[in-house]
Amino acid sequence: MRDKFTTKNLNFWYGEKHALKGISLSMKEKEVTALIGPSGCGKTTFLRCLNRMHDLYPGNRYEGEILLDGKNILEKGLDLIKHRSRVGMVFQKPTPFPMSMYDNIAFGLKLMGVKSKSEITSRVEKALKDSALWEEIKDRLHEPALSLSGGQQQRLCIARAVAVEPDVILMDEPCSALDPVATAKIEDLITDLKQNYTVVIVTHNMQQAARVSQYTGFFMLGEVIEFDTTEKIFTAPSNKLTEDYITGRFG
Amino acid sequence: MSENLNEKNGGPGIPASEANGYVSLSARRQSSGKLGDAVFKGVSYAFALSVIVLMALLFIVLVKESWLSIKAFGFSFIYTSVWDPVAQEFGALPSIYGTLVSSIIAIVIAVPISLGIAIFLTEMAPKRLKGPIGTAIELLASIPSIIYGMWGLFVFAPFLSEYVEPFLIDYLGFIPLFTGAPLGIGMLPAGFILAIMIIPFISSVSRDIFQMVPSILKESGYGVGATKWEVIRKIVLPYARSGVIGAVILGLGRALGETMAVTFLIGNAQEIKLSLLEPATSISATLANEFTEAVEDLYLSSLVELGLILFIITFIVLALAKLLISRFSYKGGQL
Repeated sequence: MRDKFTTKNLNFWYGEKHALKGISLSMKEKEVTALIGPSGCGKTTFLRCLNRMHDLYPGNRYEGEILLDGKNILEKGLDLIKHRSRVGMVFQKPTPFPMSMYDNIAFGLKLMGVKSKSEITSRVEKALKDSALWEEIKDRLHEPALSLSGGQQQRLCIARAVAVEPDVILMDEPCSALDPVATAKIEDLITDLKQNYTVVIVTHNMQQAARVSQYTGFFMLGEVIEFDTTEKIFTAPSNKLTEDYITGRFG
Repeated sequence: MSENLNEKNGGPGIPASEANGYVSLSARRQSSGKLGDAVFKGVSYAFALSVIVLMALLFIVLVKESWLSIKAFGFSFIYTSVWDPVAQEFGALPSIYGTLVSSIIAIVIAVPISLGIAIFLTEMAPKRLKGPIGTAIELLASIPSIIYGMWGLFVFAPFLSEYVEPFLIDYLGFIPLFTGAPLGIGMLPAGFILAIMIIPFISSVSRDIFQMVPSILKESGYGVGATKWEVIRKIVLPYARSGVIGAVILGLGRALGETMAVTFLIGNAQEIKLSLLEPATSISATLANEFTEAVEDLYLSSLVELGLILFIITFIVLALAKLLISRFSYKGGQL
């Protein structure tokens, strides 16, 4: 498998705080990469580097390289708007926009310049089918998205991310606000998404990482302690810290 | 060891202090605590009730004092436009009209500017500008209205009559709203000054509401490739809509009752003219101007009835604002 995202010696600062220290790892195309580690270890910070979300706030600084399909996205002159539409994101909590379910998904499509109404409708339908939500909401697409349950809202957000056909989908603890049933549905969905998309997921739940991912990176204190196939990390980690963490000795 | 201890203290379950010959601490504390709580509850209850009593009394006094005028003119008081103290004929329409129109002008001017300020402060301003501009706006809100009035009359009105109004008459004079002489005082200048006075209100309340929009919601917008403008227009504004409407109505409530600045600038003419450049009057301006002259009972009573009408209008507007704001926080809680 080809590398989709690669970081080379990536450093990141929140103002004076050195949050990521020399991160070098590769995320394979059409595979799920999980990032685990104790709170405050930098895994979310790393994820948000990949779509340059940090640029929204002043005082943040990157150093090193982030290659997407071999092209450095930290270079000056990158079209951030375009880049973010190539790299979708799903957050800790469902974030439906204050509009109808249909409009939530059409939002991104319209931004991408899709004008034809029939094309929008068919793409909305496809995105909802891809995120296993179509059957549940097809009769009430024009009701407010906030009327959905938490798990449905989160799948709507995934549909919204998928609708604009990104290369990569970033997920920042997508199940942390959901109950076990909704979590299971999202995990199934992640496995389905893998067929077409590269997925990078931050999770606090190690079973989840083991269930959905093919590669796992273990972060601690802003550094990558170990990065390998998920199987290797969870059965025979080569680093003592990784072993202590996945066996629940700390964190 | 522990059994020994229990025996010494009078057996299990009995507090040590009682066994030692004292009344238990918890028993003592409750007796005095209850009385204190009851007194405190009663006093704070009374304070809270006094607000409602005061409101009711105010209303009753207004009705009682305006009874003479209510009896004499009935409902026609509201839709008659004659205001003739000599003939003892009074109609409130010019005042009501002036109050509403000057406030609407103020809202039309102030809302876009205030939203611009609030959006700039929450979404765009660099950190070192946020503080100073925010403080400046709050300071603007604390300037006494008489100062706005004086500034309006001596500085703003001459400016309007020399530059702005001639321009309006020359280029927009074909619209009946902008005909007449460039006096510098009248409905439009009053609306302008009101706008300046309510901008701090609307913008600081809207800023607080925009700050309540969850940052991950905005980030989701950026995450699908939206620009700043698209995020503001399609996500921030709809999310904050009812709260912003509440803020606008609060500003409207203030504009409706504003007295001194309006009295200086509105021209105080008891007539209804279509042109916004003509002198007009408002309820509060009529009251401020004429109370000292009102020697006849019916005259005085009519003025009090004007006050009653303003009281009712403001009450309705503020109740509406409260309703909208509470709906906003309910909706905001879902995310």
